[in-house]
Amino acid sequence: MKNRLRDALKSSRADYTEIRLERSVATAVTFRGPRLEGATVSTDEGGFVRCLNRGCGWGMASFTSLHDLPAMVARAHELSRAVRLDAPILLADVPVREEDVALPLGGDVRGIPLDVKKRHLESLNALMLGRDRRIVDTQASYRDEVVEYWYANSEGTLLSVLRPEVNLSAVAVARDQGTIERALESLGRRAGWDAVQRREPQFLDAADRAVALLDAPRVRGGTYPVVLDPKLAGVFIHEAFGHLSEADFVYENRPAREMMTLGRRFGGQHLTVGDDGSAAALRGTLPFDDEGTPTRNTVLIQNGVLVGRLHSRETAARLNEAPTGNARAISFRHPPIVRMTNTYIAKGEGTRDDLFRDIKLGIYACDAQGGQTYLEDFSFTAGHGYMIRDGQLAERVKDVVIAGNLFQTMDRIDRVAGDFQWNELGGGCGKAGQGPLPVTEGAPHVRISEALVGGSVA
Amino acid sequence: MIVQLLEQAARRAELADASVKTDETLTLLFESGRLKRTSWTEERGVSLRVRAQGRLGVAGTTAARPDHLVEAALASAAVGEPSDLVLPAPSPLPPVRTHSPAAATASVADLAALGQRLVERLSRDGWQVSATVERSAGSVRVANSRGVEAAYDVTGVWLGAEVTRVTGDDILMVGDHYAAADLPDEAVVARLADSIRRRVGWAERAAPPPRGELPVLFTPAGSNALFLPVRQACLGKAVLQGVSPLGGKVGERLFDPALSLTDDPWLAGASGSRAIDDEGVVTRRQALIRDGVLMGFIYDLETAARAGVPATGHARRTTFGKPSAGYSNLVMSPGAHSWDELVARIPDGLIIDDLIGVGQGNVISGAFSHPVALAYRVTGGEVVGRVKDAAVAGNAFELLSRVAGLGREVERRGSLSMPAILLEGVSVAPR
Repeated sequence: MKNRLRDALKSSRADYTEIRLERSVATAVTFRGPRLEGATVSTDEGGFVRCLNRGCGWGMASFTSLHDLPAMVARAHELSRAVRLDAPILLADVPVREEDVALPLGGDVRGIPLDVKKRHLESLNALMLGRDRRIVDTQASYRDEVVEYWYANSEGTLLSVLRPEVNLSAVAVARDQGTIERALESLGRRAGWDAVQRREPQFLDAADRAVALLDAPRVRGGTYPVVLDPKLAGVFIHEAFGHLSEADFVYENRPAREMMTLGRRFGGQHLTVGDDGSAAALRGTLPFDDEGTPTRNTVLIQNGVLVGRLHSRETAARLNEAPTGNARAISFRHPPIVRMTNTYIAKGEGTRDDLFRDIKLGIYACDAQGGQTYLEDFSFTAGHGYMIRDGQLAERVKDVVIAGNLFQTMDRIDRVAGDFQWNELGGGCGKAGQGPLPVTEGAPHVRISEALVGGSVA
Repeated sequence: MIVQLLEQAARRAELADASVKTDETLTLLFESGRLKRTSWTEERGVSLRVRAQGRLGVAGTTAARPDHLVEAALASAAVGEPSDLVLPAPSPLPPVRTHSPAAATASVADLAALGQRLVERLSRDGWQVSATVERSAGSVRVANSRGVEAAYDVTGVWLGAEVTRVTGDDILMVGDHYAAADLPDEAVVARLADSIRRRVGWAERAAPPPRGELPVLFTPAGSNALFLPVRQACLGKAVLQGVSPLGGKVGERLFDPALSLTDDPWLAGASGSRAIDDEGVVTRRQALIRDGVLMGFIYDLETAARAGVPATGHARRTTFGKPSAGYSNLVMSPGAHSWDELVARIPDGLIIDDLIGVGQGNVISGAFSHPVALAYRVTGGEVVGRVKDAAVAGNAFELLSRVAGLGREVERRGSLSMPAILLEGVSVAPR
């Protein structure tokens, strides 16, 4: 494969050429209720070529037929030359390297028979189905993948990476007459079969929570102090802040750049936020990004001050900053764009109960069912929640939707606890038609002094 | 190649069906008003399903090695669910236009000129314009071991633009797009630009959010929160699973008599059109709601067999994974009112063009609660400005049971054709 890459690069007439090739084997098993929806093994292979010529734009080609590689290099070169730019595209320097990396497979999934994977998931699914007569529907899914990956560019970098991924998810649906409630649990790791063992508690939790939500009252809409659990705090920092840190949002947009000027205050002394693609075995972990740049820990907010952002080689050169290893593509079908990896709020001090202590009436919001941002405005749906009354955890409530403005909300984060954890959730991030990209988030418990919580809003 | 694959599979299985899809897509991306990126994508994928020893298995690949694919499908069937799936027999196809030769052969220069014309129409001081022009040309082949063998060509053209205006910490993003089998003419380009300019214009001034149970006019783009629950609830699978609030209610008047919603796979040149579905079932028009009465659900072969009803020709199949039911083109019948009339009927309320977080939470229940992304305050029948810090909430099924007014202009965007819809008693609160 490496010779193929070298030959293709040699044949290119472009000033800069890069090629990615991928070959993957994936297994997916899904149960819906007691029925097996499917158990399949798929093979996927293809490549991506990107060319750049002086004074021209990017030209790109993706393909599923590897013997087309030389033709695709020529096509990408032609497409690059079709675009004339006044301001040239420059790429920040990245040291040339040749390296082969095999990430730990954590129990190679390719050695486990399909039948064993199916029976494992079947038993986890059965735990949900058998937990309570009000569990009327479930969805349990297992997915694994091992990707052989090659990257080469005309500067001389030549990399190969063997990378595993494994995901497990549980949805329990409980029904009592007209009331239907759902609860979700998920796991995503850059690991293998070992990571999905002993996951029974998560499946039981999903079932128990769906049933408990049946009798929980809807939260009364209004403005409250809100404590986010580490899962929701992680999703919050990814969605509400992380996307604005992606330099492609600001690099050609002066007002946006002013809004995100380094040195701007973002929250208090106790708030430190970063993105770390080099953390061990997490979903967003990789040795290099899809431009061959080594990943690293990039601090974005240091003690309440904006100090960094996430870059590709192109955005780094434009803003005269260093590349951070955040140019990622979900597969060979797509170009690398600026993405997060493992995004975190660094730990502060104290426990969850310390955060509750001086709240007279508030909300403890747990788990993220979904989140969306519209630039500075965001909305998150918590998986479930509780009231906080007189400093104590009180009754369970449902339909907790938190909405707000990013800048205000960051300023209103008044406490960050010391109980940091990486979430290792499944799912993934979507941007510019590329999703789900494997990412993860980490955070401790975080308190927002005042946030709008919707249930019934009027 | 699909025929040989089925022959190989049929030697070792009781039945088999397959689809082969190819696609070649050319995409041009304009950033900050200039052409920045050009990309080419070609893809070919094969999906095979078999039933062996009464059990179903599926396998898919982009690598062209059919023998390997048969093995993978049989391995899947070995652990698969027992099924009495019946494949369709060959049957005549309705004439449905899915392909435009002009679109299939459009060059980089043609598409660049198209994008440039849209960008120029949107060029203003302080507006950052991004645009995407895309054309795809592909083929679909569907065949099964009962003798179905069909093939058709498809094209798809996408032209979309988004204007971003940032003032201090205030960000406005307004976009619109066209999607169909044919290249758009100049009138379409002008309409897209007008639609974006008009909405940016409404946002020139800021307006305070109202509060209460108010009339809200949902634009076709803004009505997703209302119709996503309907779409999910009309999936035959949701009904089978017992999670659809519409299950068992076919024939009942659940919606306002002004509402009629049909899935129409025969619209000439529309994004979701086709004569035959990905399981070899001939497509047909399927009424979902007629004059407020619930008419039916959509099914693929497997869910139809389980529900004991005929398949409706809605199966979609990607390279990986098994077929599942999906809508083709959803078309809502127009109402009686012009846009201006609908706005004039609002003493105090909102126009909703985009909401944040649609699709999160327990969608199928109909309950929604979303902050607005793009909304405008209407007072005394006039648009007075953009409202930012507001949220709307309600239950889609309840709200759609009494419609205060339906637009007479039905806008087709890709596979959705919707008019504007005015609802009363939508809960609106400042944030």
